[in-house]
Amino acid sequence: MSDDDHNDDPSDDDRTEPAPSTHVGRRAVLGIATLGAAGIAFGASIDNAVGGTLTRISSDLGGLGALVPGADEFRIYTVTGSIPIISPASYRLTVDGMVDQRLDLSVDDLRSMKRTKLVHYFQCVTGWRVPSVHWEGVRLADVLDRAGVQRGGTALRFFSGDGVYTESLTISQAQLPDVLVADRMIGNDVTPEHGGPVRLYVAPMYGYKSIKWLDRIEVINEVIPGYWENYGYAVNGWIGGSP
Amino acid sequence: MSLQARPGTDQPAPRPRTTLERFDKVERAVHWTTAVLMLELIATGAILYIPSIALVVGHRGIVENIHVYSGLALLLPLIVGVAGPWRERLVRDLRRFDRWTAADWDWFHPKRRPRAPLGKFNGGQKAEAAFVGGGMVVMLATGVLMRFAPPSWINWQQGATLVHDIGFIAIAIGVVGHIYIALNSPEQLKSMLTGRISRSWAAKRTPIWVKEADEGKP
Repeated sequence: MSDDDHNDDPSDDDRTEPAPSTHVGRRAVLGIATLGAAGIAFGASIDNAVGGTLTRISSDLGGLGALVPGADEFRIYTVTGSIPIISPASYRLTVDGMVDQRLDLSVDDLRSMKRTKLVHYFQCVTGWRVPSVHWEGVRLADVLDRAGVQRGGTALRFFSGDGVYTESLTISQAQLPDVLVADRMIGNDVTPEHGGPVRLYVAPMYGYKSIKWLDRIEVINEVIPGYWENYGYAVNGWIGGSP
Repeated sequence: MSLQARPGTDQPAPRPRTTLERFDKVERAVHWTTAVLMLELIATGAILYIPSIALVVGHRGIVENIHVYSGLALLLPLIVGVAGPWRERLVRDLRRFDRWTAADWDWFHPKRRPRAPLGKFNGGQKAEAAFVGGGMVVMLATGVLMRFAPPSWINWQQGATLVHDIGFIAIAIGVVGHIYIALNSPEQLKSMLTGRISRSWAAKRTPIWVKEADEGKP
């Protein structure tokens, strides 16, 4: 190992003698790794502090804005090749399985039921978060009451209109007051990108539990893990690991 | 590899070979497998990260798994390269990346007369190596946190996501720059493809390395 001094002798005329060297390379690698570790440790606070500013920068940049890290914006995820476009007029939410009465609810049916509004963040399991999202719809508990859950019906299976995505909740999770069958968010009818016309919003759990393009709710007698849960995500997707 | 005749140059005694082996098979294998993984990670990362591309491609489950598992494999070529008895040349070059002389710093000031002659790699190449090396470690660590951390680590996960996003942009720029410079340095690009580089090029650009190569430490 050489010394850390790289003073060069100007009188050295042998232009092929190796010059004194310093371990800059490994220091740079360690420096980058340290920066990364600091980012992991303090990134959440930085993200929360500057997210609003970054969001404004991001929207000023138009199409390139999506590249700004840390902006408080939704990232649109689909597990199939395209976004399902479902006409709100012909939409029906089916509730079946272990119920007294099968339901086929239209958007108007949902709008005639008792409405609930929430303002709550949307937290993705991979770490991004959108603060203060306005949600509006019908409590899942009220939908289940209307169908009448039969004895032994202890779990729900949700099916997406994309034909692939599924999700799960226990009945007691579904009874929580901040679990909505949402038909409005961010002040508008839910758009196709966000899972419209009707999606689920499970406030205390990670975003993957809030199934988009909600098509059917089946009442069953045991939890069947949903799409991401088959890839290893927690079936009980509580944000932070506990309710 | 053809031996290039160099008419017009004033070399006294013709040497037995007019080219030198700059990268051996192990180094080239490590470089190109890492390069393929890196490009695939950038492509799948772009699909996962940039909403307009994500919307066109969809199939998030498949894309995510390709990205995660090829990311876990990213350092494997390098690890295999330094783990076996074939490591000698690769390790020697990694040591060269580590050690900076005055000549490497002077490389960043092209108008200044360099205080010393260059070795096998110049300051820009050493900076790129450190950037990519540190970047791979950071992307691997943050990626593992994003995908495999227990739910109670949510704050670290959010930090890891921010770092991974910034790292994606930085590395994408770094890789594009690397390819751009390679395409503008045909002699060096050829040496990463064939392993060999012309002695006259090396004597002019990397005089210390030519001496080292003649002493049996290419």
